Amino acid sequence: MNPIVLEGLTVRYGDRLALDNVSFAVPEGSVYALLGRNGAGKSSLIRCLLGEQRPASGRALLLDRNVWTERALALEEVGVVSEEPDAPPAMTARQLSRFCSRLYRTWDAAGLEARLRRFGVSATTPFGKLSKGQKGQVSLALALASSPRLLVLDDPTLGLDAVARKAVFEELIGELADRGITVFITTHDLAGVERIADRVGVLRAGRLVLDEEMETLKTRFRRVSFPRSQAAGAARLEALAPVAVAARGWEVEAVVSNYDEESFSASRLGGEDGEDPEVSVLTLEEIFIALTGEVQEVKA
Amino acid sequence: MAPTLRIDPRDARPIWRQIEENVQHLVARGALPPGASVPSVRDLARELQVNPATVSKAYQRLTDAGVLSVRRGEGTFVSDTPPPVSDSRRNGRLQEEATRYASLAVTLGASREEALATLDAAWSGLTNGGAGSESSELEGEEA
Repeated sequence: MNPIVLEGLTVRYGDRLALDNVSFAVPEGSVYALLGRNGAGKSSLIRCLLGEQRPASGRALLLDRNVWTERALALEEVGVVSEEPDAPPAMTARQLSRFCSRLYRTWDAAGLEARLRRFGVSATTPFGKLSKGQKGQVSLALALASSPRLLVLDDPTLGLDAVARKAVFEELIGELADRGITVFITTHDLAGVERIADRVGVLRAGRLVLDEEMETLKTRFRRVSFPRSQAAGAARLEALAPVAVAARGWEVEAVVSNYDEESFSASRLGGEDGEDPEVSVLTLEEIFIALTGEVQEVKA
Repeated sequence: MAPTLRIDPRDARPIWRQIEENVQHLVARGALPPGASVPSVRDLARELQVNPATVSKAYQRLTDAGVLSVRRGEGTFVSDTPPPVSDSRRNGRLQEEATRYASLAVTLGASREEALATLDAAWSGLTNGGAGSESSELEGEEA
């Protein structure tokens, strides 16, 4: 069973199409990273996923239940950290823990306090007095205390410094190792998520333009750099059918999405007049920019 | 603590293969001697900030290859008689990194002699009291 299934999800705000027929599934035990620039539709998708927004058409299933028609049941075994964690400002993390413990069948209060200690966040400071990053950490600790089967994290490292981000990822890794939970995460921390996600989705202007395993994604994308001066460069560039082209100093860089070692070495991209172009691996961040950035026109 | 393992997002190999091959090399070099314990999947995943399933896959393959062995309830250890790293894989890797270094040297306008002397000096630096970790691998530089 796939813990998250989205079927033809469409959301409209007046004339504007915020989500356009989005379908994908998150396999059990996987870490799925949903990426997109601001305004790409991530927030609308998360709202549908949590039953806070009724899609114009299509549906979202959480743990096999339609989240719009059976919200309470669908979310019973789901831990959520929202982008703007919210709680009564006067309540401390410990009081929140006591309050939430009544809502769930199982509640690991000791584990929650241990997590807060690892995060370096006080259990006795009122929620309203915590920084945005600390609120997120309290929210994550609360989400994990009910031992959920599925975690939905909406930019959980926003506002955190490098050390605190590492602490959050360590908690996630621990949960994955110990309980094999499924994680759905949106984030701007592409370097961090690149090492952890095994599947990636990319939203662009409301449409899902990519839904793929991280490993195959990394394998098929490459940057190919030509010296600008090289004659016949333009023709060669075209033959590569690049997804993005950019001028960098005296080089022209093309990002290709169909790389495979054999055909690329067989065609000897360099041609007769010059050296072979340099082929290099892209980070997830660079792939994301190539897929969602502005298109640049370049004369080779 | 085991010698340092490093993961490079610019490496063309998937993370599980980077872990697999790095452990193989550490074992082949004696940095991880027979019988040495290796970190648990959970600990190594946290240390490298990677998905535990990735570490698990690397460990499984290393166990299947006879490099590591699992003692129930005790943990994972380097086998008493680990098999040598296959020549073709080892040579391929060596060749790959040599090409990276050579092209960097050419880009920087270094002469062949200069590049070889630099490699030689780096080698000496490692063998005399260097930490001897895998992190000494040459890194390709961004243009």
